[in-house]
Order: sequence, then C-alpha cells, then structure tokens
Amino acid sequence: MPANSPHAPFTPAWSVPLSRRRWLQVTGGLSAAAGASWLPQLAACAQQTGVRPRSCILLWMSGGPSHIDLFDLKPEHENGGEFKPIDTAAPGVQICEHLPKLAEQARRLAIIRSMSTKEGDHARATHVMRTGYLPQGPIQYPALGSLLSKELISADCELPGYVSISPFIGLAPAAFGPGFLGPQYAPLIVGSSGPGQSDAALRVQNVESHPGTDAPQVDRRLSLLQGFEADFAAARPGLMVDSHRSAYASAVRMMRSEGIKAFDLDDEPAELRDRYGRNTFGQGCLLARRLVERGVPFVEVSFSGTEGALGWDTHQQNFPTLKTLCGTLDPAWATLMDDLGQRGLLDSTLVVWMGEFGRTPSINNNAGRDHFPAAWSTVLGGGGIRGGQALGKTSADGMTVAERPVTTADLLATVVQAVGLDPTKQNMSNVGRPIRLADPAARPIEEVLA
Amino acid sequence: MRRITPCCRIALTLLVIAAGLRTARADEVQATANLIDRHIEARWKIDGVVPAELSDDAEFFRRINLHIGGVIPTVWEVRSFVADPTPDKRRQAVEHLLSGPRYIAHFTSTWRKVMLPETETDPNLRALAPEFEGWLRQRLIDNTSYDRMVRELLTAPLSRSNAMTMGNTGREATPAGFFAAKEMKPENLAAGSARTFLGVRIDCAQCHDHPFDAWKRRQFWGYAAFFAGIVPARAGSDDIPVQQSVEVFDRRELAIPDDINQRVVQATFLNGDQPEWKPRTSSRQTLADWITARDNPYFARATVNRLWAHFFGLGLVDPVDDLSPANIPSHPELLDELGREFARHDFDLQFLIRAIVNSRTYQLTSRRTHDSQDEPSRFARMAVQGLTAESVYRSLQRATGAAPPDVADRSVVLFAPQGEDQQFRELFANVTDRPIDRQTSILQALLIMNGPQTDVRQLRILEAILAFPDLTAAEQIETLFLSTVSRLPAAAESARLVQAVEAQASPDERRKVLGDILWALLNSSEFLFNH
Repeated sequence: MPANSPHAPFTPAWSVPLSRRRWLQVTGGLSAAAGASWLPQLAACAQQTGVRPRSCILLWMSGGPSHIDLFDLKPEHENGGEFKPIDTAAPGVQICEHLPKLAEQARRLAIIRSMSTKEGDHARATHVMRTGYLPQGPIQYPALGSLLSKELISADCELPGYVSISPFIGLAPAAFGPGFLGPQYAPLIVGSSGPGQSDAALRVQNVESHPGTDAPQVDRRLSLLQGFEADFAAARPGLMVDSHRSAYASAVRMMRSEGIKAFDLDDEPAELRDRYGRNTFGQGCLLARRLVERGVPFVEVSFSGTEGALGWDTHQQNFPTLKTLCGTLDPAWATLMDDLGQRGLLDSTLVVWMGEFGRTPSINNNAGRDHFPAAWSTVLGGGGIRGGQALGKTSADGMTVAERPVTTADLLATVVQAVGLDPTKQNMSNVGRPIRLADPAARPIEEVLA
Repeated sequence: MRRITPCCRIALTLLVIAAGLRTARADEVQATANLIDRHIEARWKIDGVVPAELSDDAEFFRRINLHIGGVIPTVWEVRSFVADPTPDKRRQAVEHLLSGPRYIAHFTSTWRKVMLPETETDPNLRALAPEFEGWLRQRLIDNTSYDRMVRELLTAPLSRSNAMTMGNTGREATPAGFFAAKEMKPENLAAGSARTFLGVRIDCAQCHDHPFDAWKRRQFWGYAAFFAGIVPARAGSDDIPVQQSVEVFDRRELAIPDDINQRVVQATFLNGDQPEWKPRTSSRQTLADWITARDNPYFARATVNRLWAHFFGLGLVDPVDDLSPANIPSHPELLDELGREFARHDFDLQFLIRAIVNSRTYQLTSRRTHDSQDEPSRFARMAVQGLTAESVYRSLQRATGAAPPDVADRSVVLFAPQGEDQQFRELFANVTDRPIDRQTSILQALLIMNGPQTDVRQLRILEAILAFPDLTAAEQIETLFLSTVSRLPAAAESARLVQAVEAQASPDERRKVLGDILWALLNSSEFLFNH
C-alpha cells in the first residue's frame, strides 16, 4: 500500500470502537498497541487546537426558487407580483412577507442579488451549481459536498463527512456524487424526496446488525473477516483491498458510534421539533444541526417541494405555491439559524441557500414564472459570512444584473473560502488533469466574507 | 434405402467445412493468444519484470466465470472443474461459457453500459434499456460481428412517434435508444459515437479548438453534420425531450452554433476526407460504413482496448475511451496487431475473447510474488478488480442459494422499479471505467454486512449443509468455501476454522459459528472482487 494512501489512518481500525478489553479478547492483542494509541492521540490533537472545525450546511432548493418573490422584490414594477416586502433585522434589507421568521435572522445572512449564470435547463444548471462545472466530456466532477468534506473532515469524526438528506437526484445524478474523488467521498444518503416520502425515512439504511446477533457474535464475525482480509491483503496487496478494509472500518465505527444517535430525532424536545416543522425539510434541518454538532463537515438538506419532486419549479400558480413553500421554508431555516446560534455552532457553520437558477421576472400566462439564470439570488449565512447585507442589484424590471455580477464560480469560491479553504487547491481528476476546488477564473466575493 | 440426397450432401459438406473451420479457428485463437504473450513478455524483459506464476485451476475458473458469465460458478461446477484431468480443460471451460446463457446475459449488460451509458446514470433513461438489451441479446446469441452491430445501431430507424415510451412497452428490440439517450442532437450523437466506437474524444472541440489535441471546432461540427438530418422536437423546455423526430435524409450540413463567422460546415469524416455520397444511402449509413471500415485506424483498436480492459481491469490505452495520439498505449504494437487480428477475423467478438483468455498473460495468478508486478500496466499479475452491481447481486444469490441456478443464469431483472436489487444498483453503480480502482463505500459495506442477502439465519446454503447427513465440520467448511470464494480452503485455514466449529458444545452453537464463517466469507474482498 502506498504511503500516501488516503486509507492509511483507518487500516486496523474496526477495532477502535471496541473497548480495549474486548479488542484484546477479539484479536489476542495482536495489534492492540496500534489500536489503543490511536484514539487518545486524536483527542489530544483536537484539544490542542481548540478550534472547532468548519462545517457547511447547504439548503438545496430543487427546481429553481423564485428569487424575485423571496429576496429581490420589485414592488414598484409590474414584474413584482403580489407579494409585499417586509423589513428585516438588518437595516435597509427587505425580503418577502412570507418569510417573517427568517427576517428576524437577517443579521446573520448575506443576500446575493446579482447571480448571473448561463444554464436554464434543470439538469445542466443543477450540475453547474453543485459541482462548479458543466457536465462535459469524460471528467466526473465531484459535488461540492464531496470536495469540501474531503478537506474538512477530521480523523476523529465517527460519521461520514458528507450527508445528503432527502435529495432528488434523478435530474442530475452526477451532481450528487463524488465523481473522480471516488466512493469514499460519496454522500451518505438518508431519505429520498420522491413524492409521498415522509420524515420517517431520515435514517441510515442497514445500520443495524441482523436481528438475533449479539455483540460478541458480531465481534467474532468481524474477527473472522479480519482474518480473511489479512490473508487476502498479504497475497494481493493494493488499493482494492485497502479500500475495502477502510470502508468496513468506517462502517463498523459508525454502527457502534455515539454519532449514529444523531439520526434519533426523538431525542429532541417536541417543542423544538415543532418549531423546525414536522415535515421532511424541517426535520432534515434539525438532523443537519445534529450532524454538524457531531463533527460532520458537510450536510445538505434538499427541499424539493411539498408535493412534487420539483416544487420550486413554479411555471404555474407561482404565488399560492410559493406561499405554501414559504410556510415550510421559513420556520425550518430560521429555526436552524437560531438553533445553531444558541449552541455556539453558527460561527463555525456556513449555511448556503440556493437552487439551480432563479425565475423570470415577467409573469407568464399561467400566473407562473419560468427558468431564469441571467439575474437571480442566493443567500449565504453563518460562519465566515458578514451578515446583515444584500449585495448586488438587478435592474428595476429584474431582467438584468445592474451591479456587481456574481458567477457560479465566484459563489462557489466564496463558499470554499468561507469554510477556510483555498479555492485554488487541486485534486487529481479521473483523466489525469488536476482540477481546482473552484474554477481558476473565480473571484471570491470579498464583501460578504467575514 | 438410405440415399444421400444432394441436399444432404451439401449439408454434410458444409458440416465438414465447418468442423475444419473450427479447428482452423482454434489454431488462430492460440496464435493470437501467443501474440499477446510475446508482446507482454518482451516488455517484461525490457522493464526487468518478474511475472507471477500461472493461476491454479480454481482461481482461473472463478475468474472466467465472472469475466465471461458475470457470476461465480456453483459448488458442483468448481468441484468438477478442479477434478477434471483433461489437459485442455481451461480452453473447454471457456467454450462452454461462451456457448451458454451466462455469457449472453453478462455481455448484454456489459455492451449496454458501453453503448448506452446514460441508462446507468440517469434514471429517466433507464426505460430505454430493455429494448436496447433485447436487440443486443439477439445479436450476441447470433454472434453477430461487431462491425455489423455498430452499423445497425448507427442506422437504426427513428420513425417512432415517441421514443421515450418505447422502452415501457417493450414492443420491439431496437438499438434506437442510442439516439434517444443523446437527445437526438447532432452534437451529442457526434461526441457519443466517436467516443464509444472510435475511442476518440472530440467533445471539447464542440466549444473551442482543443489546445492539445488535433481536433478543431470545425472538425467536430463537420462530423456532427452526418446527424444533421435528425430534427429533434421538444415538447417544452421543462420536460424530458420527447422525440417526435423527423429525419431529413439529404441534409448534410450544419451551422456552427454561436460562431462569429457564422460558418456552415459540410459533413466531413474526422480524418478530413469528404464522403463519396451514393444514391439512396443516408448520411448516417455513409458515416457508419466509414466508422466500421477495416482500415479505420480507430475502430478495431478501440474495441480491442475495451475488451482488454474488461478482462484485465485496465486498458492498453487508459482511459479506455481515449485513443488520442497524446495518450500513448502501454503496448502500442500489441494494440495495433490485436486490432488487425480482430478486423481480419471479421470483428468476431468471441474470437477476441478466446484469444485474450487463452493467453498466458490472462491466466497468471493475482498473487504478488515480486514487487515489479505492482505496476498494473505491465500485466505481470492479474489485477484485483471490482464487480458490477449485477455480478455482486447474482453472485450473492448463487453463493447463498437464494435463487435456483437457472434464474441466476439470466440477468437480474434490472428495471423493476422497487426490486430488491435496487439497492445494489444504486450502491454499486460504477463510477470509474477502471475496475482496478473501484473503491468500496460505507453504504456498500453496510448493505453486505447487514442487508437481508447475508442474514445467515435465512440462507439456504447453510440449511443444506446442516441438513446433509454425516458431513464433518471440515466438509461443511469446504462447502462454504466452494460456494462463496470458489476454492477449497487451505490446510491451515481449514484447521483453524474446524477447531472453532468443533469447540462448540451444542449443535446450535456450531450452527452459529458456521453462520459466522459464511457471513465473513460473503463480506470478504476475496468474494466481492474478481482476482
């Protein structure tokens, strides 16, 4: 196994969650020294630095939310539609009347009103916004979550670094995958947002041992497996067997971890669960907080609408649909900001709100709005962000960016920088060409970075 | 009484000729296998490589079963193969596999993934797969030559009113899904056909002249112009494109989109040649003839490279679909010569498979005996390779006795919306074209550890072993090994495990330990990989 293998720290590690006594029983003490010295070292390391590692929560709005009705209202113009703006906690910043709770959190938010992108097709735009690149040729670009979690995860995190809650991946599956980084960086997916899904499904599949197998038996099985693996690795060393051992080590570690309890939402006070909202997105936001609390560096919560898979895709009946969606979005997002703040997690947690594009300022014949990438809004908040502001401007009719255009690459570079990473850092791609975390042409938005 | 009619005589003559051809072919297979070994060995000498030894029978047998048939062999098959004293048994085993249903099932799925990769990644396009596979299956059963298959695909009639619903009805076996998956767009069809059939990546030249490669923007659109007659109709910007396509057979030019000079290009082959248009021959037909021509420098080599990668886990050219001049093959002469042999044998896929698996290079063990074997492109030991989702699923079924053998022989029902193999398809979907660096994910590990397929309390194989009268612990363990990792346990292994079983006082406890051994085997690298 090459010395620089990413799996090196895990190699003998399904022993780690065992108690030292059991570990000795299981293995006869063979590599107990390695196993025992491993955990305290990490703990010491975390204590030394005293800095909480950065995390990112992405609130992903499938379908393209109507920015002009939510964050960039035009009450003076006929394109403005029927929603009224309201003042927020941030002086001079107004947002939609149907986001009253979020308005109270506005000091923690930076609204970017001058997104200017090129893709107006759901699949391609989703790919671009979530990976930074167009699906092009053979390069399998990783999702933002894979890229960031790879950099941010700490060795003592018992859970996977990238958790994706109720994603609707159908339109652009590659935009939800680890791409050339490989399955080690794939999201742990819980829940799925097909029609008819409820929040009951926000759990990890296959995380319980088979019924009727007690702990000693599981240990015996793992010890047998470890024997087979050791023999196989001795005869046929290489990436494959290393990767297999590392995945099993992480899986066993997660099964046995305290961290897995993050998925037991019943541990939370009923009152708090109510405040988030008793729906997949609300409970997903709560789960995101619980995961971040346990050291998971990247969590995304997809909000695909209350009925269909592309709820934000309001080609028809834009206003009543949005009102319903806001009824879910507002309490969940606002409670998330509040909850993170109260637990001292907000300084280290970046919250990103975006969809694949905005919607046409003009209202169509079905009282709806269509796809519009030319001028739209996204929102950043929490850790690393200078809140209480709205950046950039669109024209009076909303059709063009009037001030401070921001590209997809600029936005993603800002996200990368806000979590403390260097956007020019490179990963080797599957075609042997190095790819930077964010496109080299990107300029992070300095005005919103704290 | 029994007169030989002229008809019979002709038939007999044909039989004799056929038999003669078969022998001739067997010789030529061996000659081509030797050609592989000669080139690989020559490079070993230059690089100072000490190659691994020949695989033993069980190792070889499991390997070809997975590579050709896509599923591990049964206990009985392993036992008979290992016990068979015939010197020629490896070659015979290959013939047996190639003439059976497992080869058809496995390569139908393999070629579908090559030709219609979108069905793996885009759930919306999965509906295209059944009729595409229906077409492939029949071609593989007939052993249709590869050039003919590709010509059929590229010239498939597109007269349907709605290509997206064809898959659901399963009315007809047709390769037309290739066009639907490319949204009927000339640029997608150009990029896809060049990459899939020629190993040429011209995609980047779609938007700009490529700084490193020979492909220019004009060339890309000239090539795309062969598909210019296909006029896709979109129902609305939001929906999956509905293909109400009309084909204009004599349209052979395209305007380059967003071109400052507003150039219009005529259909031109990638090498710059202008086609000789023939009457009543569509532009797609003209292109298909050029792509599959024997003297096309890319077609045969691209195909040889794909099959090589299928069996060795790594192409002679890597990535497998990039034969650009800048991407030098590990063994350039071998690729050229194998390409020539493939073309000379009428693009016979089975011939190529036979030649590869009968080579000594393919039959080397995967056990590492020298550090010069670590560089995979030297092919000095067999690489450990990841399995497809279907192979993992089918092999689990076979190993645990979950499905009768004849069911396991056929492909899994791939497109059931909520089949129990759904999780396997999602979690084991290929993310890399290189089986040698397929990595295991946490969710895969959880599925095999804790999923229903490995719940030993319910596995028939364990029931069978326990129900069989008078089996010793050693024999029980032997059967578990044969059933999962397709080999006999080594003496030390067996001793250790027998002791663990026999140390248990009650039959219940013994049963538990046997179940644990089975569970561990099913979760092992040795079971979950081909090697």
